[in-house]
Amino acid sequence: MVALVVVSHSEPLADAAVELALQMVGDNPPPIEVAAGNDGGLGTDALAVAGAIQRADAASNGSGVLVLTDLGSAVLSSEMALELVDDLSSEVRLSRAPFVEGLVAAVVQASIGRSLEAVEAEAVASVGVKAAQLGSAPDAAEPRTDSDPAIRDGVSERECEIINPQGLHARPAAVFAKAAADLPVEVAVTNLDTGAGPAAADSMLELMSLGVRQGNRIRLSAEGPEGKAAIDTLAMLIADGLGESTGG
Amino acid sequence: MADVDVDQIADWLGRAKDVISEQRAYLTELDSAIGDADHGSNLSRGFTAVVDKLASSTPETISGVLKSSGMTLVSTVGGASGPLYGTMLLRMAGAAGDTATITPERLAAALRAGLDGVVARGKAELGDKTMVDALGPAVSAFEQSIADGKDASAAAEAGAAAAAAGRDATKPLIARKGRASYLGERSAGHLDPGAASVTLLLGALAAALSER
Repeated sequence: MVALVVVSHSEPLADAAVELALQMVGDNPPPIEVAAGNDGGLGTDALAVAGAIQRADAASNGSGVLVLTDLGSAVLSSEMALELVDDLSSEVRLSRAPFVEGLVAAVVQASIGRSLEAVEAEAVASVGVKAAQLGSAPDAAEPRTDSDPAIRDGVSERECEIINPQGLHARPAAVFAKAAADLPVEVAVTNLDTGAGPAAADSMLELMSLGVRQGNRIRLSAEGPEGKAAIDTLAMLIADGLGESTGG
Repeated sequence: MADVDVDQIADWLGRAKDVISEQRAYLTELDSAIGDADHGSNLSRGFTAVVDKLASSTPETISGVLKSSGMTLVSTVGGASGPLYGTMLLRMAGAAGDTATITPERLAAALRAGLDGVVARGKAELGDKTMVDALGPAVSAFEQSIADGKDASAAAEAGAAAAAAGRDATKPLIARKGRASYLGERSAGHLDPGAASVTLLLGALAAALSER
């Protein structure tokens, strides 16, 4: 599993960001190492970051390490730390993702066993989710322009209603994406009420960028002989409220 | 031409600690105008740790002193100046060689390597309103003095003067790197704290090399 290193000026900030991100992944969190604060106050320490990278590298079993930083010296100290560590067994990358959103996306993607490339890409794309929700979608969150799957042969489709009170927000989107990543086929999701999508079902961020609210209908589609079983599995999860209490 | 020895380099860092501690409030005041108001306390803490470390075990070579001090700064300063000053001393250590004395030419090369390290680490250019605006001219002046046949003490004096001029020239600039860059045009009209602290460092070098 890809391991994460969290570098912040503030230990409380780092701990709270990690707590927020871990809410998303239940009982299978990725290894996370924190290097935050300096001598009890605000600041960063390149040697502490180097130590955290070394521990994360060992915990990742060769899957790789993504380093998330807040600002200023956190970036400089992390760059310096990379020069101070040696004998790494896996690749280490410094992420340009925003600190909180990037960490949440990275934790979810790492927990479902994605590659370092995928974890890094989702962390960076997280910057687009807020923009999409506020109506100014940057490149990362623009709906993809694949041809409509409905007109292709061998495509299974199913429509479902989202019953979650807050719609497809981060937590149910993470549950949905995690389930979709375990399926043998790619599933596409379209918001039928707004026309947004299709989004990849295994990308929490693409799902969130669909802006699905309670009562919206979505269309699941998948190709191939295993497609029907795949979308039936996801439809059952949706009907169950995606792990959320939806009573009333 | 007299060589520079390891005691003078250790003396430089000791004098740097003294002047930075004395000027701690001044540096923090500069940083409170356009930064996060911690430059004086951060650097004072870092250089105090440098001196404590050298007191407990003084390396016998110039590269040893610079390396030990650079690593100490990296782990004790906390702000961006930790990696920046740490990199400067570590790169100087790499260029200085494992000897107890170095020629003025070699010291000039070490200072150039230190500057290159700071530029590589911070990715700042001249005119970005950073320590590079003082350190860059200082290294050039030091090199020029050596090329003109002056000794290390005179070269360090020229370097300190060039650093001070570079520091003063940061006042009207708009910051393009570091925390002050968030302020945009509001950063104009203030001296850059990093340019001010590296000027103190160059002044300490001149003082250390002038007393033999």
